[in-house]
Amino acid sequence: MNNHLRDLRTTRGWSQQELGERLEVSRQSVNAIETGRYDPSLPLAFRIAELFGLAIEDVFVSPSKEN
Amino acid sequence: MFSIRRDERLNAAQRRYVWQAMLLVGVYVVVLMGCTWAIRVHAPKGVELFLLSLLPSLPLLGWIGALGLYLRAERDEFIRARLVAAMIGGLGLMLAITTVWGFLENGGAVEHFPTFLTFPLWAACFGLWQCGRSIRERIGGSRA
Repeated sequence: MNNHLRDLRTTRGWSQQELGERLEVSRQSVNAIETGRYDPSLPLAFRIAELFGLAIEDVFVSPSKEN
Repeated sequence: MFSIRRDERLNAAQRRYVWQAMLLVGVYVVVLMGCTWAIRVHAPKGVELFLLSLLPSLPLLGWIGALGLYLRAERDEFIRARLVAAMIGGLGLMLAITTVWGFLENGGAVEHFPTFLTFPLWAACFGLWQCGRSIRERIGGSRA
């Protein structure tokens, strides 16, 4: 699933490690989500969206709207 | 005594599992050697033989339990998903190998496969699966 996580993270100047610590997940998890290799669970997707103060659909691109 | 250097790449659940696994492997080696020696030297019979034969399996059962506890304790869903996927992949590989081996054995083409080696075989298949996935990810990238 495509997402804007990398942009959101770099805009705040956070490393993958820092974002992982804020989300209480590993750096590998952040990397896998950013690169679209792993789709997070709904609870983790909510945690990510809430961390950036956004709605889930502002972070993750709905598969039905992907090209 | 040996010690594990604190590795920042390992979380608390992983460190606990590594300690448990190392301890259980140590216990397994000691118990296996002790029981093998006792059976050879004393040639026990009946209940004693049953218990001495059974004893080496207990640390391995503990290891399987420790793996299950680790899976429950692992809070990182990505790592947990990768681990479970590798476990299932390893299980499939092991089932394929033992199925083929079983038919070959049934036909008399190969020797008997000792069933106590099933767990080590699964562990080897689990490791192979993880290696294969790492190679795939380095080459082209694949989903967890």
